[in-house]
Amino acid sequence: MEGRPTDGDLFARAQRGNEAAYEEIVQRYQQVAFRTAYVITGSAAEAEDAAQEGFVKAYRALATFRPGAEPRPWLLRIVANEARNRVRSAGRRHQLELRVAERFRPGDAAPSPEAAAVAAEDHTWLLGLVNQLSDEDRLVISSRYLLELSGEETAAALGIPEGTVKSRLSRALARLRRRVEEGAGA
Amino acid sequence: MPEAADLEQRLVLLRAEIDWPATPELAGRVRARIAASAPAPARRPWFQHRWALAAVAVLVVLAALIAYTPSREAIASWINLHTIFTRVNQLPTPSPLPSGPLGKRLGLGDPTTLDQAQSKVSWHIVVPASLGRPDEVYVQLPPEGPPQGEVTLVYKSRPGLKTAGETGVAVLITEANGTVDTQMFGKMLGEGTTLEEVAVNGHKGYWISGQPHIFFFIDASGQFRMETMRLATNTLIIDDNGTVIRIEGDLTKTQALEIAASLS
Repeated sequence: MEGRPTDGDLFARAQRGNEAAYEEIVQRYQQVAFRTAYVITGSAAEAEDAAQEGFVKAYRALATFRPGAEPRPWLLRIVANEARNRVRSAGRRHQLELRVAERFRPGDAAPSPEAAAVAAEDHTWLLGLVNQLSDEDRLVISSRYLLELSGEETAAALGIPEGTVKSRLSRALARLRRRVEEGAGA
Repeated sequence: MPEAADLEQRLVLLRAEIDWPATPELAGRVRARIAASAPAPARRPWFQHRWALAAVAVLVVLAALIAYTPSREAIASWINLHTIFTRVNQLPTPSPLPSGPLGKRLGLGDPTTLDQAQSKVSWHIVVPASLGRPDEVYVQLPPEGPPQGEVTLVYKSRPGLKTAGETGVAVLITEANGTVDTQMFGKMLGEGTTLEEVAVNGHKGYWISGQPHIFFFIDASGQFRMETMRLATNTLIIDDNGTVIRIEGDLTKTQALEIAASLS
């Protein structure tokens, strides 16, 4: 059975100058790269530019990719770098407005319309609280939970040492928890 | 009251419900851009570019050294880079050094004092107790230096510490805000150098033996930053929670680790 090439194969071919292999790499990682850039910049247009530029720069830096290394943190570091540069040069970050999707799921066996409505309301409310966090808190929580990045990838996306991610995340969670409790008690 | 796990659980559930903006189709566009911009397949232009810089740096150093070398024999020995940098003690009698402060000649920035340097940077400048106060202190601020500046402590030779090449310098300790990315600099070290991970007072360290010429780290603004190793000697790099400390000198690993362990 012909499997699809592994990331390692693709990187090895791209390092030899194979542009088609690199296109495949971009295809695989464009979603997580774009979303990471979106969380950093708060703007889909900026995120698109940052991700595109980041992938072009990563291609030029392919020689520095160590065979066998994890490609995601390597790529995310370069794309996130690009996204942060854009935020810095613009002098401000767009207000990130993540939204909860409105979905119709005709086939879903929802527990009950009321329960579904309560769940949707809960998601919207919690996401609203996440949106209101400071940039630093929102970024670390979004990276870890909403983008589902690993510790190493979160460090790459935030441009901080991996050892710092845990403490920053636990502080951010504590602050979010306080807001949740205040909101629930109100 | 929500438990810790409960909040994390709710965030995990939230993940599936996020309405992300549609991911643009980047693969084709990126490929078109690299095809248009790169002369043929971009075979490591980045790599070559950095090495070109490093090569220029080496040539400049060589030119400067040759200018002060008294004899043709000495010039011939200089041309062999390995001889220069690894067998310093076997070189002919050192030629007279140009006058002026040691660090000034190495392009370390502006001469200053420890106190003044401390007032210009945000991190606590560490000094090795085993070497005592530095003979010279330099600070390099942006745009030449990294975003939050860089401080270099210069130590002349002293009993037990050789001078590195003919720089007149025995040990250089460079400190800057940033983090180490081994993927980046490990790959760029070149042949004849080996990288070994070590621990220094609970921090991650990297012992590079050989003749490293360039070093990469991620500076305080998250940018990759390339620096030329001033002495091209064995080097110990320490990632000290946000500060990258570099100890260069004609040192053994034990000596370098002793200096590092006494930093405070």
